[in-house]
Amino acid sequence: MADIGTVVASLVYGVLLGFVFAAIAHGLNLIWGVTKVVNAAHGEFIMLGAYGAYFLNLAWGLDPLTASLIDAALGLGVGVAFYFAFLHRELRGKEQIGLQTELVTLVATFGLGLAIVNVGTLAFRYPVGLRYNPGNVVLGGLSVPLGGVYVGLASLGIIVVSHLFLTRTYLGNAIRAYGQDIVAAKLMGVNPTAVAAIATGIGFAMTMAGGAFLTVYLRAGITPLIGLTYAPISFVIVVLGGPGKMWGSLVGGVTIGVLLDVLQAFVPVEFAYAAAFLFVIPILALRPEGILR
Amino acid sequence: MSQASGAETAPSAPKAGRGKIIAIVVAILILVAIAAAAVYYLSQPTPTGTIKIGFTISKTGTFTVEGTNSLNGILAAQAWVNAHGGVTAGGVSYQFDLDYVDDQSQSANIVPTYTQIVTQDNAQFLLAPYSSGLTSAAAPIADQYGRVMLSHGGASNTIYQQGYQNFVGVLSPASVYLRGAIDFIKANHPTDNLAFLYASDSFSSIAGSSGAAYARSIGLTVVYDQSYPTTVTDLSTQLTAAKNLAADDLLGGGHFTDGVLLMQQLAGVGWTPKLISLLVAVTEPSFQAQLPGVSNNVTGPSQWETSVVFTSAMASAAGFDWYGPTGAEFTSLYGSMTSGATPTYHSAEAAASIFVLAHAIEAANSLNTTQVRAELASMKLMTFFGKFQVDSTGLQVAHEMIVDQWQAAALKVVWPTAVAVSPLQYPYTGS
Amino acid sequence: MTDLRTAWFRPAWRKLKALGPTAQALAVALVALAALGPILPVALFVIAILFMIYATWAYSINLITGMTGYVSFGHVVFVGTGGYALGYGVKVWNLAPLAGVALGGLFGALLAVGIGAVTLRLRGAYFAIATLVTPLAAFYIVSGTPALGDGAGLPMNLGFQIGTQYYTIWALLTAEVALTWWATRGRLGLGIHALREDEDAARAVGIHVPRLKLILYVLSGGFAGAAGAVFAWYVSGVFPDTFSLLFSLTMLAMIIIGGMGTVLGPMLGAVIVLIPHLYLLRILPQGEPIAIGVAVILIALFLPGGIVGTIRRYVPEARRYLE
Repeated sequence: MADIGTVVASLVYGVLLGFVFAAIAHGLNLIWGVTKVVNAAHGEFIMLGAYGAYFLNLAWGLDPLTASLIDAALGLGVGVAFYFAFLHRELRGKEQIGLQTELVTLVATFGLGLAIVNVGTLAFRYPVGLRYNPGNVVLGGLSVPLGGVYVGLASLGIIVVSHLFLTRTYLGNAIRAYGQDIVAAKLMGVNPTAVAAIATGIGFAMTMAGGAFLTVYLRAGITPLIGLTYAPISFVIVVLGGPGKMWGSLVGGVTIGVLLDVLQAFVPVEFAYAAAFLFVIPILALRPEGILR
Repeated sequence: MSQASGAETAPSAPKAGRGKIIAIVVAILILVAIAAAAVYYLSQPTPTGTIKIGFTISKTGTFTVEGTNSLNGILAAQAWVNAHGGVTAGGVSYQFDLDYVDDQSQSANIVPTYTQIVTQDNAQFLLAPYSSGLTSAAAPIADQYGRVMLSHGGASNTIYQQGYQNFVGVLSPASVYLRGAIDFIKANHPTDNLAFLYASDSFSSIAGSSGAAYARSIGLTVVYDQSYPTTVTDLSTQLTAAKNLAADDLLGGGHFTDGVLLMQQLAGVGWTPKLISLLVAVTEPSFQAQLPGVSNNVTGPSQWETSVVFTSAMASAAGFDWYGPTGAEFTSLYGSMTSGATPTYHSAEAAASIFVLAHAIEAANSLNTTQVRAELASMKLMTFFGKFQVDSTGLQVAHEMIVDQWQAAALKVVWPTAVAVSPLQYPYTGS
Repeated sequence: MTDLRTAWFRPAWRKLKALGPTAQALAVALVALAALGPILPVALFVIAILFMIYATWAYSINLITGMTGYVSFGHVVFVGTGGYALGYGVKVWNLAPLAGVALGGLFGALLAVGIGAVTLRLRGAYFAIATLVTPLAAFYIVSGTPALGDGAGLPMNLGFQIGTQYYTIWALLTAEVALTWWATRGRLGLGIHALREDEDAARAVGIHVPRLKLILYVLSGGFAGAAGAVFAWYVSGVFPDTFSLLFSLTMLAMIIIGGMGTVLGPMLGAVIVLIPHLYLLRILPQGEPIAIGVAVILIALFLPGGIVGTIRRYVPEARRYLE
């Protein structure tokens, strides 16, 4: 139905879109993988990161890539505070994160998300946008938005840095140990509360930085409701890639991005979106640990 | 949870226990009764010598911006009518009294609220809520209780096909939104290939698909016709497909967020259409503010702009009645009531519904629904908003859409030529 | 008259008393709703219909999430499916709305079979996410299907048949309350309770867990669908944005606040979520969704049993009466 030019273009755009999706999913991936907590308010923190980038752009003219660093620093603090406010009570002293805890944290974070969205819609009635235009580059007859390229590089950067952190530093190894077996980690001298709090902090840092990266791609039309669009996408991505595997969010993101864009070349857009979301169900049924081994 | 364990572990006196359960049930019933009564008794009495107009408006929720602008328009119109002797019918002069509630942009709120407004607050006339989905829920109440309902915000055509008797629209329906741009193309660049890419919500999908059908019917070539969900995150594939089909012009869009996304991604895929006409987004000031260069020469349809002039002279020349303030008077009244804000077309279409109603009551010389509805069916009225005349289903057929275009960071009316302040700039250059 | 009282009313009341105070209280409330219907002023009558719809949804999500602990984030998919079933049935097959409601229940149940067969074997958050995507996919599918109205949905003109709506939803709600009450009794109740506490242990003692979960899910889907059809009837139309996550979250909030897995909880939750809502519309529309979000957070963290569960925990004497 569509010509080969469109299909090739959609493949490239799908990959770029996938990088953007991956960037906003990393934080969820880490927190879920380590503390086994699914943050139902994830979308709202992406939104906060995007607004952070907007205000930094408004006040000091910072571009979103620079703003992401500040957002990350903020996210660290917010994440630790979030841990102690919401998760500590449930996770403290637990040696196994059971179904009941999962339920409680899921529900509590969903309430938080609900509250944040509604406060946001009170505060910001009009959509806002950044003054930032990275432009595009033409590669072999195809126009490629540089914003997507930058975000892709940043996404890769996050994965590499977090991989190094998690495998080469003491703290990183402690976090991984906590994620694997809390009792064993404690026996090795790891303080579970500190580790969980820091892991949550890092996860939120990634999430809010992810919100800033989102604005590289989506420079205008930012509203408090964008979390509701990007949260389900993040969940699907993390499930596809497997929670806890940092490369998983990239694999999951690119899968969804490519599915979305390439399908659109052949079927109506609405069905492409339906298929992209439904794709997670057979994956969960057949291979629940995710695409990556 | 099961009876057995309950009876064994709770040997407390059954009599006191029964008292407790009765107490709890009674407490709950009392709470419910209080809450229900509170809702019931929050009705508002009608002062004498007034006509009560009831409606819900989206002050919060998804349509908060449009809803607030509409409300301000209605308030300004009410102020004007009441300051100019009110409405006279049957030898009595009436002031307009407004009874409105926030519907939070949710249809579940519509039915209870409109029922209250009609049966308890005794509103005599109704305005519809802002969007088409909400309007569907309100329309049956108007017919059930015999109240005229004027629609100022729901532009979808489908509501007029449901057979409601008392439902009348003031604004141009969705199906004609894109006609202005299409007529311009037909008149000036008839060999252009058209691409229609629009959101799939009720309003945008009707506007887009009707636009494509209209274009084909007048002999233009439509090479692309696709809808996308409003929560879309990426339109690059669609835009590339349209570009690769050698489309010259791009029409469609939906609301603000996806309109802006479209503009950003046009640059990303390297396509510069010669004419761009997008629904809703373009006429917002923040469109130009958030897309400083690329918004230049983008067009969009509008129900009304402050610069469009209608006068009573034009009305009599066209065989229409005239009622209400001029555009300039309305704008300044609106500004004085909103700390200097400029009315948007939502404000204008909502205000127009009040003026239309006022004139209909006076012309019918009665407050009776049947007579006012009959008057609305036959009358030809011009207000600062434009022409008003409806067909047998209540659909607005006389009002004309205008086309706006951003030219050097200012929004100008460019079509139809009779009311244009500046010619439509073609082609679009991307900056 | 006296014969009627001794022959019918007294034995019935005695049997009801034997069932326990909760059953009594709910039966009284439901009978009152049915009996008082004709004398209520229209505005309250219409509010009562909406309340019963919300209560039916609360009980339906209680059947799966409350009873088994499987958080159905996407429960609104049944509401929308039921609505579209009624819309399509009425507009294309010229069915009476009542038949549309039955159709809505049927399609809700069928959809639950389909979704449940695949997703009920997933645990915890995975199930929640799998169900989360279903209303999203449904939204996109109906938006792109011309036969279902595309983005314009299916607006209808069914007049103002509030009487029939009232008693239809009343019948649904009563059936559901009875079912919920019955599912907390005897061996079935113990089995479900065991399932919620520890699924593997339940399986080990011979409870047929997958079948039980599926039955509960199908029932919850059927009732949610039927109530969704009544809702579409009530608002004279069904649109793609019926599949909004907001409905799902509201349904969850009702049982979280009321008390998951209890018989009284959903009713309480529906009262608390809906009645002040209509009151606040006139006074403080913005504050209410935030209040619900905060209420959910507080209850999840500090009062996990909701109102009913917390009272049962701290007031042991009340356990006999508050189920």
